[in-house]
Amino acid sequence: MSDFDAIDSLLAGVGPEAELPSPQVRQELRERARLSKAQVARALGVSPSTVAAWEGGRDPVGEVRTKYRYLLDGLATKFTTDTAPVTPSPAEPAAAQAPNAADAPPASPAVPEEGGEGDEVEALAVPEPCVLCGQPAGTRVAGFAQHLDPADCQTTAAVPPAQPATTPVQPGTAHTGKPTSTARTSRTPRPSERSQGPARRAFQEPSGPVDLIGQAVQAALAEHHGDVEAATAALVKRAIPDAMRLLDETRKGARYDVIAHPWIPDILKKQTSRGADQIWEARPKWTRRELPPGKHEVTALDINGAYLSALKTHLPLGQLEHSAGLPHDRRRAGVHLITPPVWEHEAVLPNPIGQRDEPGPLWVTEPTLRLLLRLSGPKYGLCAPPEVHESYTSGATENLLEKFRIALKDARDEAIEQGDEVTLEYVKAMYSKFVSTMGESNYNRELYRPDWMHIIRSQAFANLWLKALKAHDEGLAVVRAMGTDELHVIGDWHRVFPEGRGVTEVKVKDTYTAGTDTDDTTGEERE
Amino acid sequence: MPEKNLDFGKFGAQGIRGSDAVARKLDELAGGIATPVTVKRGWIARLHYLTKSGKSRQAAKEAGLTVTDRTLKAWLEGKRSPSKANLAKIDAAYRAVRRQNVARHLLKRLNREGRGTRVEIHPLNQSQVPRPLQRVVEYRSMNVRRWDRIVGAWAAGDHQGLDAAWDDTIVDLGSQWGQYEYCTSVGFAA
Repeated sequence: MSDFDAIDSLLAGVGPEAELPSPQVRQELRERARLSKAQVARALGVSPSTVAAWEGGRDPVGEVRTKYRYLLDGLATKFTTDTAPVTPSPAEPAAAQAPNAADAPPASPAVPEEGGEGDEVEALAVPEPCVLCGQPAGTRVAGFAQHLDPADCQTTAAVPPAQPATTPVQPGTAHTGKPTSTARTSRTPRPSERSQGPARRAFQEPSGPVDLIGQAVQAALAEHHGDVEAATAALVKRAIPDAMRLLDETRKGARYDVIAHPWIPDILKKQTSRGADQIWEARPKWTRRELPPGKHEVTALDINGAYLSALKTHLPLGQLEHSAGLPHDRRRAGVHLITPPVWEHEAVLPNPIGQRDEPGPLWVTEPTLRLLLRLSGPKYGLCAPPEVHESYTSGATENLLEKFRIALKDARDEAIEQGDEVTLEYVKAMYSKFVSTMGESNYNRELYRPDWMHIIRSQAFANLWLKALKAHDEGLAVVRAMGTDELHVIGDWHRVFPEGRGVTEVKVKDTYTAGTDTDDTTGEERE
Repeated sequence: MPEKNLDFGKFGAQGIRGSDAVARKLDELAGGIATPVTVKRGWIARLHYLTKSGKSRQAAKEAGLTVTDRTLKAWLEGKRSPSKANLAKIDAAYRAVRRQNVARHLLKRLNREGRGTRVEIHPLNQSQVPRPLQRVVEYRSMNVRRWDRIVGAWAAGDHQGLDAAWDDTIVDLGSQWGQYEYCTSVGFAA
C-alpha cells in the first residue's frame, strides 16, 4: 500500500491548488483576528515579509499554501458566527470549479450525507469541491468539504453526468471517514491530513495549570477546620514541594525542560559548607552621602513582590559552557567575569554593581551585566561599558518561569482583592523559598541551580536599581536604595510610582524627616 | 550488546563512564567528612568514625584497616601519627564503611516507595571531535525506579557490578542508549 500512498501524495501535489481569498480579504481576516504578521508567519513557518507579500498579491505555493488556506478558513469560520461571512469574489469559485469539473468523479448520487451527524461543521471562506459530488460546497464536516443537505449534493451532482461508469466507486466510501480511496479517484485538492485536527487550529484555549494554589489552600483550611493560623503554618511548611509541583505543572508541554542537576563550575560552588561562592550579586546598599540642603520629608517605599517579579529574567537552560574573550551574546545567559566601569554618579545614584570595596574583576550575573551594558549604551550614557573577560553561559530564555510567575501573581492578586491572608502568605512563602532554596539547599533537593538563584536575586536588585533611576530621572531625590525592595525618596513620589499592593505598585513603609535646617547641611538623621 | 562503545575517545570525545558518574553522585549524596585525610583534623575524624563501637571497628577491619588495637590507640591519643600508606588505608576504609552505613537510607530515598528518582544524563563532550564526525547527542532524563542493584554495587565497592547495573538501567533510554554509556555528568537527588 505504501507505493499507492506515495503516488497519492504525488497526485495530490499536482492537482489544482487550494483556492485562496483575495489579498485584501486575507489581510482583513488577519487584522480582524488581531494577529500580527509575525504571529502568522511563525505559525506557518515563513518569514513575516512573506506574509506581507501574500497580502500584497503574491500567492503562496505548495504545502504552505494549503496551510495558509487552512488558517484563513479557520479565521473566516471564527467570524461567520457573529458577522456576515467574507464572501469571495464570484469569479474565484468559477475558476476553481473549472478544473475540478473535468476530472470530477461520478460520485454515486444515492449516497446520503451522513457525516454531519455529531461532527463539527465549519463554514469555508472559499467553497471547496464536495468530496461526494465534486461541486463547490460552502461547509466542511470532519475535515471534508461537502454539502450539508443531501438534496444539494444530488441536484448538483446530477447536472454534470460526465462519465457515469468509468470508475467504480463503492457506495460506502463516504461513510468510512478514511479519505484515501476518494482522494485517489477524485484528486480533490485537500489540505494535508496532518493539519486537520484541532491541535493545528489557529486559536486554542490557553492551557494553564490547574488551580493548584487554590486547591491546596482549601484543603488546608478544611483540614484545620477553618483555623487560619494553623492552616497558614501548615501551608508555609510545605511551600517548597508545592512550588516544585507547580513548576512541573506549568512546564507541561513546554519547549524546554527544566534541567535540575547540571554540571556546575567551581565558581558557583561554595568554598566551604558555610561559605559563599564567588558570585557577586550586586545587592544595593547605598545611602546618599549628602542630602540637599534643608529639612525633607523622606518616604521609605517598599517594592511589592520583588522576587516574584524577578522570576522574569534570562535564565540559562542547560549546562554552563565556558568562553573567553567573546562579546556579550543576547541569546545566552550565565555568569561573567568583568571589570566594572568607574561610577561617577555616586552622589545621586547607587553604583549598579552595589557597594564593592575591593577593586578589580569580579564575577557578576547576567542581569547585572545587562544593566551595565544598558547604562553604558547611547540612551543612558552613564558609564563606560564593562570589560568582559570570561563567561560561563548557556542558551537562555526569559519564559522558563513565566507561567509559574503568572500563576503565583494571579493567585496573589486574587488573594489581595479578597483579603485572603492565608493564600497571600502561602504564595509569598512559595516564591521566596523557591528562590532561596533552588541552589545548593538541603531543603529543596529537586533543583540544584545556584546559577538561577544568583541570577534571580540579581534581577531583583537590578529592578530596584532601575526604579531608583526612574525616581531620579523624574526629579525625586533618591536617599537610599537597600536590599531587594527598599527605596527612600524625597519629593512627590505619587506621580512616579502608583501606590498599592500589586507587583507594579509600591507601598509606603515609613515616612520620616531628615536633613537639617539650612545652616548645617552635612548632618542627617537616619532611622 | 552492539551499542557498547569499543574504543571510546578515539575521535576526541570526552566523558566518563556513566557508572562512574553515578558513583560520584552517590558519594556526593552520602556526604561525610570534608576535611582531607592529609590534615590531622581529617584523619582523626575518620578514625573516630571507624572506632566508634565494636561493630564499626569490625567493619573497619573488614574494609582493610588492618592495624593492631595498640596502634589505633596510639594514633587516637596523639602519641603517633599514621604513615602515608596508613593514611590511604584509613581513607579507603572510611569511604567503604561510610558507604555501607549510608546505603540503606540512601536506597530508601532513591526508591521513594517505588516512585523512583528522576535522573538527568548530560551527554559527552564533543568539542574536540572533528566537525564531520560530531553527532547530535541530546540531554536526556529518565525515571529510575529500582535502585537496589546500583546502590548495592556502589556500597560494596563493586565497579563492574555497578557498571553492569547502570548499563541495564540506561537501556530504558531506547535504541540510542549506547550514546549515553559515557557522559559528562549524571544528576539526581535523594
